[in-house]
Amino acid sequence: DDHRQEETKSSAVGSSQIFPSDGGEMEPETMEIKSVSEFLTKMHMGSVMSRQKG
Amino acid sequence: MRMESSCLDLALEGERLCKAGDYRAGVSFFESAIQVGTEDLQILSAIYSQLGNAYFHLQEYTKALEYHRHDLTLTRAIGDEVGEAKASGNLGNTLKLLGRYDEAVVCCQRHLEITKAIYDKVGQARALYNFGNVYHAKGKSICWSGAKPGEFPEEARTALRKAAHYYEANLSLVMELGDRAAQGRTYGNLGNTYYLLGDFESAIAAHEKRLLIAKEFGDKSAERRAHCNLGNAHIFLGQFETAANHYKRTLQLARLLKDRAVEAQACYSLGNTYTLLQDYERAIDYHLKHLVIAQDLKDCVGEGRAYWSLGNAHTALGNHEQAMLFAEKHLEIAKRTGDKSGEMTARMNLADLRMVVGPKSNPSMQYMFPNNRINDPDPLETQPGHLILPGVRTSLRRGSAENLLVIPGHHQ
Repeated sequence: DDHRQEETKSSAVGSSQIFPSDGGEMEPETMEIKSVSEFLTKMHMGSVMSRQKG
Repeated sequence: MRMESSCLDLALEGERLCKAGDYRAGVSFFESAIQVGTEDLQILSAIYSQLGNAYFHLQEYTKALEYHRHDLTLTRAIGDEVGEAKASGNLGNTLKLLGRYDEAVVCCQRHLEITKAIYDKVGQARALYNFGNVYHAKGKSICWSGAKPGEFPEEARTALRKAAHYYEANLSLVMELGDRAAQGRTYGNLGNTYYLLGDFESAIAAHEKRLLIAKEFGDKSAERRAHCNLGNAHIFLGQFETAANHYKRTLQLARLLKDRAVEAQACYSLGNTYTLLQDYERAIDYHLKHLVIAQDLKDCVGEGRAYWSLGNAHTALGNHEQAMLFAEKHLEIAKRTGDKSGEMTARMNLADLRMVVGPKSNPSMQYMFPNNRINDPDPLETQPGHLILPGVRTSLRRGSAENLLVIPGHHQ
């Protein structure tokens, strides 16, 4: 029993067994963005430019 | 004409709401805009795309898929290549999250092809990042849960190597473009890829760079992520003191950001690290902190893990009665949540502890643990040999630790 207790006290836990191998925390995704307001601004700019040209 | 302006107004309001972070309200405005309809297909494409992204943020990936697919069909029909590239990118990201990796790869390929053809380096870089993310997710999905980083099946390693390849290609582009924010993201994911491939030194180098950029931007969340990932990598190099320092910083930042779940995770990691350092008193202190938060958050899985860890630490200190108390709590919660693997672990630990303490040596045990299973058949008797389950470590069996078998998915 004494031997057992001694063994217990000095026991160490293996790192792979207590650390989940889920690979860590990832960075966020980058989504592509389309916008109605930007599209309208561009159209507006386009028409201003063509008016100025004309 | 009236209808046309109405669709526009609704879409503009949807856009404003999404920009403000209110995706749920944004979605309803965009959906109303679609019901009204428009003849302007560019505007319709922008609505589809934003609806897809809003659902993506709301984590409703099936709906996100539906709208990004509509956007792809539309942009193809009108021959809008720039729009098609964007739709492909978003569709790829969505398919990745749905676990449909092969289809996601096709989308990433198309995104990359178009951006290359029109010499759009920014778009190309973004496509390469997405590509890396898809292969990373694919690799991770193949890794079986009990395995150590670096010891995954060849199929997983192949996908992870591809991920590293795409992240590295992305990195050289975003360096050329001088886009620091993009570099930060790529270093983070590249670090995680090296980590899974078992190249912990490279992982640390990448996460150190990620950390530097996060500090440059004052991005506390990214800083916290980097410290956590650095802690994990140092653990696998056996540098436990360094790991502890990174986890402590993670804990500080989690508290600063008022993220209780992350705070709990940091405490758990610190508890485990001090266990590895054989400083069991400190391990117990952190595991108790973790336990309190897990209980607050009603996180039964976390609570079970805390009991298991506390049992181990007390066992290591020779506090067998305390250990039994936590093993009983572990068993109780495992049974309540239907966690078969946890239940088996708890029973094995209890069986081990009973050999040391003896059921008769502490008669108050029966009273203290109304649910105890002192008379249950000993699982060790029915399962000879050294069966060990993922994440299971019974510290009393240290002598045979080298021969322990990890058998994922065979714990029923």
